[in-house]
Amino acid sequence: MYIELHSRSAFSFLEGASLPENLIAACANLDMPAMALLDRDGVYGSPRFHMAAKKARIKAHIGAEVTCEYFSPPRYRGAERITDYKASVSMRLRGEFRLPLLVSSRLGYQNLCRLITKMKLRSAKGEGAVREEELLEHAAGLICLTGDHDGPLTHALAYGGMEEARVCVEQLADIFGRENVYVELQRHFHREQEARNHAAIEMARSLQLPLLATNGISYATARERELCDVFTAIRHHRTLATAGRLLARNSERYLKSPQEMQALFADLPEAIANTVELSSRLAFTFKDLGYEFPKYPVSEGETMMSFLRERTREGFQQRYGRSSSELQERARRQIERELKLIEKLDLAGYFLIVWDLVHFCRRENILVQGRGSAANSAVCYSLGITAVDAVSMELLFERFLSEERGEWPDIDLDLPSGDQRERVIQYLYTRYGERGAAMTANVITYRSRMAAREMGKALGFDPETLDKVSAAVSTWEYRDDNDTFDHRFRDAGLDWKHPRLRKYFELCIAVQDLPRHLGQHSGGMVICQGQLDSIVPLEPASMPGRVVVQWDKEDCADLGIIKVDLLGLGMMAVLEDSLQLIHDHHGEEVDLAHLPPDDPTVYSTLQKADTIGMFQVESRAQMSCLPRLQPKCFYDIVVQVAIIRPGPIVGQMVNPYLQRRMGREPVHHLHPSLEPVLKRTLGVPLFQEQLLRIAMVAANFTGGEAEELRRAMGFKRSQARMKDIEARLRTGMEKNGISRDAQEQIILSITSFALYGFPESHAASFALIAYASAYLKCHYLAAFTAALLNNQPMGFYRPATIVKDAQRHGLKVLPIDVMRSEWQCTLEQSAVSTQQSVSSTALRLGLRYARGLREDAGQAIVQQRALAPFTSIRDLVHRVPELRKDELNTLAEIGALNEISSRNIAGHASTKLHRRDALWQVERAVRYSGPLLDELSEPDVNSPLRPMDPEERLVADFRGTGMTVGPHPMAYHRQRMEAMGIHKASDLSHIPDGQRLRIGGCIICRQRPGTAKGFVFLSIEDETGVANAIVMPDLFQKNRLLLSSAQFLMVEGILQNQDNVISVKAERVMPLSITRAETSSHDFY
Amino acid sequence: MRVEPELRSKSLAVLEGKAPLQKIFAVNENARRAGVSPGMTKLQIEACAGLMLRARSLPQESAAHAALLDCVQSFSPRVEAAGCDTIVLDLAGSRPLFGPLPKIAHAIVRRASALGLETSAAVAGNPDTAVLAARGFSGVTVIPNGKEAEQLGSLPVEVLFGNPAQESARLLETFSRWGIHKLRDLAALPDVALSERLGQAGIHLQKLARGDISRTLVPIEPPLSFEEFIELEYPLVLLEPLAFLLGRLLEQLCARLEARALATQELRLCLELENGWQTENLSINNGATGILARPARARQNFERTLRLPVPLLDSRIFLKLLQLDLKAHPPGAPIVKIKLTAEPVRPRAAQNGLFLPPAPEPEKLELTLARIAGIVGEDKVGSLELLDTHRPGGFRMQRFAPEPFSPQRHRATEKKSHFLIQKNFSVSEPALSAVRGCLGGDDLVTALRIFRPSVDVAVTMQDGKPAHITCPRNKEMQGEILWAAGPWRSSGDWWEQEGWARDEWDIAVQGEIGIALYRLVRDRLGRRWFLEGTYD
Repeated sequence: MYIELHSRSAFSFLEGASLPENLIAACANLDMPAMALLDRDGVYGSPRFHMAAKKARIKAHIGAEVTCEYFSPPRYRGAERITDYKASVSMRLRGEFRLPLLVSSRLGYQNLCRLITKMKLRSAKGEGAVREEELLEHAAGLICLTGDHDGPLTHALAYGGMEEARVCVEQLADIFGRENVYVELQRHFHREQEARNHAAIEMARSLQLPLLATNGISYATARERELCDVFTAIRHHRTLATAGRLLARNSERYLKSPQEMQALFADLPEAIANTVELSSRLAFTFKDLGYEFPKYPVSEGETMMSFLRERTREGFQQRYGRSSSELQERARRQIERELKLIEKLDLAGYFLIVWDLVHFCRRENILVQGRGSAANSAVCYSLGITAVDAVSMELLFERFLSEERGEWPDIDLDLPSGDQRERVIQYLYTRYGERGAAMTANVITYRSRMAAREMGKALGFDPETLDKVSAAVSTWEYRDDNDTFDHRFRDAGLDWKHPRLRKYFELCIAVQDLPRHLGQHSGGMVICQGQLDSIVPLEPASMPGRVVVQWDKEDCADLGIIKVDLLGLGMMAVLEDSLQLIHDHHGEEVDLAHLPPDDPTVYSTLQKADTIGMFQVESRAQMSCLPRLQPKCFYDIVVQVAIIRPGPIVGQMVNPYLQRRMGREPVHHLHPSLEPVLKRTLGVPLFQEQLLRIAMVAANFTGGEAEELRRAMGFKRSQARMKDIEARLRTGMEKNGISRDAQEQIILSITSFALYGFPESHAASFALIAYASAYLKCHYLAAFTAALLNNQPMGFYRPATIVKDAQRHGLKVLPIDVMRSEWQCTLEQSAVSTQQSVSSTALRLGLRYARGLREDAGQAIVQQRALAPFTSIRDLVHRVPELRKDELNTLAEIGALNEISSRNIAGHASTKLHRRDALWQVERAVRYSGPLLDELSEPDVNSPLRPMDPEERLVADFRGTGMTVGPHPMAYHRQRMEAMGIHKASDLSHIPDGQRLRIGGCIICRQRPGTAKGFVFLSIEDETGVANAIVMPDLFQKNRLLLSSAQFLMVEGILQNQDNVISVKAERVMPLSITRAETSSHDFY
Repeated sequence: MRVEPELRSKSLAVLEGKAPLQKIFAVNENARRAGVSPGMTKLQIEACAGLMLRARSLPQESAAHAALLDCVQSFSPRVEAAGCDTIVLDLAGSRPLFGPLPKIAHAIVRRASALGLETSAAVAGNPDTAVLAARGFSGVTVIPNGKEAEQLGSLPVEVLFGNPAQESARLLETFSRWGIHKLRDLAALPDVALSERLGQAGIHLQKLARGDISRTLVPIEPPLSFEEFIELEYPLVLLEPLAFLLGRLLEQLCARLEARALATQELRLCLELENGWQTENLSINNGATGILARPARARQNFERTLRLPVPLLDSRIFLKLLQLDLKAHPPGAPIVKIKLTAEPVRPRAAQNGLFLPPAPEPEKLELTLARIAGIVGEDKVGSLELLDTHRPGGFRMQRFAPEPFSPQRHRATEKKSHFLIQKNFSVSEPALSAVRGCLGGDDLVTALRIFRPSVDVAVTMQDGKPAHITCPRNKEMQGEILWAAGPWRSSGDWWEQEGWARDEWDIAVQGEIGIALYRLVRDRLGRRWFLEGTYD
């Protein structure tokens, strides 16, 4: 019997070529009962190693190869044994070595994590070494091997010979204890290694230390040596051809069978026997991790549970106090049920900590809303964590928390993106201490493009070939049959039969999904009761003062570590800013939690798909669904948010649902047993929960299995898992006598949800934000638009479209003006209100929209203006020296300097400038004419230049701000358009279906979605609104250049008006010559 | 277009830049009509059917420029190259020779057209006005004196800038902002105010726009070229008379170079052959002899290039080198024309240190190397460079060129080698002691004598170890294997077609004359056993 105790996985980042799962699979194949994983400076791969081992019933030993600084000369040994020579040798050796450490107990694991954390946190990424005194401090519970080619023994032998090696091993024995040091032997058929082995054996005998055979695994099978060589080349920034002796000498570092190892060490049977003995000493596994969630401090006489009950009761009063007694009763029962389960699972602390976080946000006026499965809980609703009333919406609590799953609940918090979210993260750090909270990692794995590039580089392809092949490879679908890639290679002008290209292709496939390096998850945080660095090693994050754990969020979840996701959401920031603007300008307090629930304006706007700028319902696809779905209540918005997703679209669920909703198709269920599950959505599964329930009902999945299904659905590494689950689903459904057709339908629904689908609770949380955004847009258009413009880029449309849409809704938008504009867009009391205007509030564009103007220069303008208004352009240039010439030119060109009035030499009449006057003055003002003449500079007078015509102003507006607040470019050409027979967008709703007509305007959005089989969707804006055109693939092919680049287009075709969804099916397209202004569109290909 | 006139009738776009960031640099009228315009990316126009694409070729552009120069130089000796596509002629005094000025202009356009170049010509009282008019108006334009401002007024301001540069882009942007689109607009601006804003550059442009500027022409100078040429009355067949002629040419070339204090590092010999033959297109840089290109597409011409490691100026050495080279690569047909070109470079400084050891003279060294290469082959001369690889015996040949001696470097090398020796000693100490132990004696096994070529043997295995070897070629090398250490396994270059994998064994064989130690190798891909060498 032999047990491999020294192996690296691909989580040694470019030093190992197999995933932990593959190592375990190889181990299981060879019938080995245990294995140890020692990745470089971390336990990155250990959770996956542990999980795979658990499944295969193999014992997973944990450890790491830790980089150490070379030991200083021993001070404490008898001076007579240390000659000056040896001391000087030791002193000279300031290099580093890798010390393989195995964990024997929980204390050992904690020590290992702390050692690595200390080393990582003081050095740059990928660097750092542990010091001798740190090893001394954290040696308990660790077992040390003398290492392989980069271990301490080799290092000492190479630089100081036998004597130095002896000193080094004795030092290790002093640090870890004699019984915890094993002299490691590896046999990879190298002469030098064998010589080293002889020295090691001699030393082990003389120091009476045990020998230990290992194979220093870097890959599971010998074939993977190739990938390991490629990684070596990448690590050293070389190609395979130039890496030379950095590459491996042979392919022997694979997992060898016990028989092979016994044959190799036939002369040293004790080295093999010791592996089994050592394995039995390694008692620690991840079952024994010792993680505890922080306890929430409560006053004496109170328990966390009683405190939670009290907070829930208070919240209940607020949330349900005004509800019907029936709802109150149901809510009370539900809350009681939830609290009982929370008590049973001892989760009160967790809820309180999230409550505390939300409480902090409320206190600091930071908008916060829980999303994800937490919205299924009435307790979360009462505590104010979520805003969805789970009771009245009859959401499934078990999806959030179930006794059976034995997993921590998942609470994601949506926060305004940017600074506010940072403040919340900072709060967590200050509250739980630097070592009490950390971000979760995001393991960056090789995906097609990066794989194609790096493999090509390692093979020494020149940049041109690299471009060609990576373009060919990046579109490969790796699981597809092989007959497509020769095609693609030929298209790229390459001969895929060339051996090197074949090798390249093999490597690209082999490297898929292997980790490349560690990133940082955008919002996932883990917190811990004790010191987090005793649970998992911490590393510095990119932001100073931040730390990130070595595991990604899936690994954390696997090991039962609770994480809180703090996600930045642009729309939250918009809502928050809107509320502030409403407060400042209108003096009104709008409470998002208490918006009128069934506002008729909101629903009629939604039904008309007049939704530009609204959260989640503004895309073209959403707009084409809204008039058919005709939302009438909040739940309809929930459905609306969930239905336009790749999952339901590919799963062919959208049309059946809409048809049934409009009463054109009878409601029927795939199987009678599924009726209770699908009743709410008319027999069509739309939400993730429903699919899980289908799996449970139709295929007898247990709760745990359903949970596995859920994770496979939202999981990157899920291809194989999904296949496995699909097989189990079929077996289960067969047993339950479900027909083949229904089976196919169910499988299609479930597998397409793997693409992307929403849980109901999540959709409900989003729907709330969507409702709030719609409400604010309908009732506080100016504030909402200003907030939306201040949080760009976000959403589906460009600022130009948002502004035009707001103007069509009656908002007066004022141009940038250095005499009035702030950095952000603001609200002003408009002197002249337009006829349609709902109020006399106007929106003043902020200086941020002047292209190229830096924020500090913009802020300087605002500051100086506050002191005294600018009297002339020269005054502006002198008082705001931050402004560069190009910035001044832009401001002048967009008319932002027109309002600076100046007095002429006589000192009387004031002159109003036009844009070219300002440009003329700017050019003069920025030229320093010397101390003598500077004071004599001319005042702002009219220039010899002629004023801009409307077309020139348009060009300047789009160039300088990306939009215009003046008339839409199409408005200048309406007469000509009419002569050409081009209809306005607003006319289309009055024209009967099927009529041939022409539309024309500015292309604001082009889409060619993957789910639409090559169809192209155009959004065409004119001065009256937005029209949609659909371009068939063959028309697109014929006019590709025009359709993908023209700014203004005329589209001729058949009008389609189905259920008020209006579009033109294009038959002919032509460019329109409207303006030279550079309008832009949002393109998705 | 000049090279491929058939493209005139098609849509053509010229691309510039490196893939994948190629952009359109220029288009013809047909392409413009198809919606293609300069600045678009290659990706954008990929779908445009029928569009011909050509990469921008600077050599072709300069060839076209040279052709244009040739064309106009027959009209006037005073010619100025005002840009890559613009040429100015001084026509003063041409009237009696060629007739009135418009006639000359038409003649130039016609002549250029015959060369495949589309041109516009303008005649004016000053060079700059002529340039602007030629840029702005197509065909032939004649601007009478005093009418400059009036005639130029309708031209766009872009004509002021011949070559796109950062400065011109900046000024053009300013004009565009000001709404100054025509030269007339610019000419009308007040001088002082313009000077305050755009400085002297602005005033200069305004003067140009008004046609109110005068300057002297800067005629071009003929390029510096060192080329000698002989056309033979009868074809040469033997190398000896060729050498005689080459010697004369070389002497002339060297004398010309010397007169300008120059030397050469590259000599190009071009022989025109009576009945040419064709060879494959080989242009391999062969470092060993300095011969850059082998006969390339020698349909009529036979070319050789001699590249020297240092600049030289010695006609005898050159002659000897050329002779050696021609002996190794004879032209293969009678010669009718000889052309010899020297690339001028600055000569090397020849002063060496007084107390430094003498290094071989580069001239002599070059000759010696060329002689050796003539005997053993070009790829077999030079110094060895060990390759950084696990493959045993991997090396490549490098051109032999001793580095110039410097005392500091000499001392540094000495120190380094001393350090290396020390380091090697300590590294190998444990290894050596281990080997010592293995062999059961105190004698050090330090040297391996490699057999070249290796000796093939047949091996009998026992318990996975070689037990007996038979060597049909050499009876002394066969017998029982008393002791074997190994296998020492290595493999590599798996990404190449010639990957390799081998197992080595160190064996002691009981031969007829006693015990001998060998290195036995099994080629695991070729499945062959051989003895690689013997240990001393």
